[in-house]
Amino acid sequence: MRRAVAVALVVVVVSAPWLVAVAVPRQQRYVLHVLIFTALFAALALSYDLVVGHVGSLSLAHPAFFGVGAYSAALLATRAGWPFLADLVGAALAAAVVAALVGVPLFRLTEHAFAVGTLGLALVASIVANNWVEVTRGPLCITGIPKPVLSVSGGPALAITTLPGYYWLALAALAAVVLLYRGLTTFRLGRAFHAVRDNEPLAGAAGINALKYRLLAFTVAAALAGGIGAVYVHYLSVMCPEEMNIGLTVNLLVIVFLGGVGSLRGVLLGAILFTALPEVLRLAPTWRLVIYGLLLLLVVVRSPQGIESLLRRASVARPAR
Amino acid sequence: MALLEVRGLTKRFIGVTAVDQVDLAVERGELVSLIGPNGSGKTTLFNCMTGYLAADGGRVLFRGRDVTNAPPHRLARVGIARTFQHVSVFPRLSALDNLLVFLQQHQEESLLARLLRTRRLRRLETEAIERARRLLDLVALADRASADAGGLSYGQRKLLAFAAALMPDPELLLLDEPAAAVNPTMINQMKQHIRALHRQGKTVLLVEHNMDIVMDISQRVVVLDHGQKIAEGPPEAIRRDARVVEAYFGG
Repeated sequence: MRRAVAVALVVVVVSAPWLVAVAVPRQQRYVLHVLIFTALFAALALSYDLVVGHVGSLSLAHPAFFGVGAYSAALLATRAGWPFLADLVGAALAAAVVAALVGVPLFRLTEHAFAVGTLGLALVASIVANNWVEVTRGPLCITGIPKPVLSVSGGPALAITTLPGYYWLALAALAAVVLLYRGLTTFRLGRAFHAVRDNEPLAGAAGINALKYRLLAFTVAAALAGGIGAVYVHYLSVMCPEEMNIGLTVNLLVIVFLGGVGSLRGVLLGAILFTALPEVLRLAPTWRLVIYGLLLLLVVVRSPQGIESLLRRASVARPAR
Repeated sequence: MALLEVRGLTKRFIGVTAVDQVDLAVERGELVSLIGPNGSGKTTLFNCMTGYLAADGGRVLFRGRDVTNAPPHRLARVGIARTFQHVSVFPRLSALDNLLVFLQQHQEESLLARLLRTRRLRRLETEAIERARRLLDLVALADRASADAGGLSYGQRKLLAFAAALMPDPELLLLDEPAAAVNPTMINQMKQHIRALHRQGKTVLLVEHNMDIVMDISQRVVVLDHGQKIAEGPPEAIRRDARVVEAYFGG
């Protein structure tokens, strides 16, 4: 039964471009665009949740890693002419290296001080993107980022040019992030992460080097954010400094905390709801942000542990058949 | 050679010498108790020996190797287990996971092996679960194995923390007030557990206020007062020691 539901869900998600074409033929491009953003935001939020949800460090630096990846990919593609898959790997590595370097001093800070330190990093990264004009072109943006071509050297090449193509690329990125997220947050690694999150002194007595696990989650999360940044700029074909401003952190916080922190389905649900919802509300343009704000408030008041906790309570209330 | 040897350990806080030139040796298989009035430095000494506080002077040797000021996770991995005076569990992990996490770090595995869940790792995990279930059974928590540890009662959490410390089969067990703030039945249970461990040949260093436990099960008692060791000997001798009586009851 559960398996059948899961298979049906995967089929629907993968065939979404055709379903959209049939259901809303005149809005097809717009709906697909929203779906692509939803998939990318879901992937980015999951990578963020590795840090805030699983090792319990409130990092606000995620836009910096997303931006480092996005700019690395943009520069490698436009100036060095790297193929897509190479600049994708380059972007992930660049973000991971930055995270590993800044992570060592940042994790000397704890709790609020750590949050403020990472906020500082995000602000500095944003300022650099705006002002290092020689490299980033500042507010003029890096333009003309080529369409992604999936190719293995010597083998056949697949250029992604259509919106459904981009959708499947974003979906593949999301699937990769989901697999890694599952691998990292369950079994022995997950247990060690959660031990560090729940009680750091006791984790030490259990033989866990808290700093090592925190840095691991932080660095992997940054690498994923960087990779998603690469997919993102190849989709938009342009990278501007405002893509990595602090507003991105607010979106991620909303998705992760109102969806369900530390939970795969909670974060996915949050991403769907809080990326698609503002778009649906465009039907009432004047009241859009007011309604959105009120809905956020409602979730915070009624279900402070996120929407996922409602599902959990519902499944407990309903006896298993 | 003693299993654990502390030489001249000193810890100062601003203006106060909490632990003052303390020497302490625990032989393999011994059950030693560390007692003293409140504020005499017992827990500070514990924390210095287990890497939670940096000692200002002196040395700690474990199996003859210098482990002074090594971080807690390293001391745990060489075979020193400790419990905490205040109940300490991982509240959002299940009772079973609370035990499992205490063994897994002793089984050195690459990150990739953990991510890919190699066959060897899955076998180790199965064995760990069996061991954890036996220990949960021992402390009468078998039926709470999948409950979140945060939802257990105070006494149950205390027993869970005790069982967790036993998970890696440590060479030396440091227990910080295992019987504090629990009901008399549980105090008795805890006493039986510690006595059983000792009979199995485990080395135990116990900090405890409950004199009934200390006098009943210790082979040797070390008394601290104002950070200094004032007496050391078998329980009967300590009971009659004038300095100890003075420290506890005197002005």
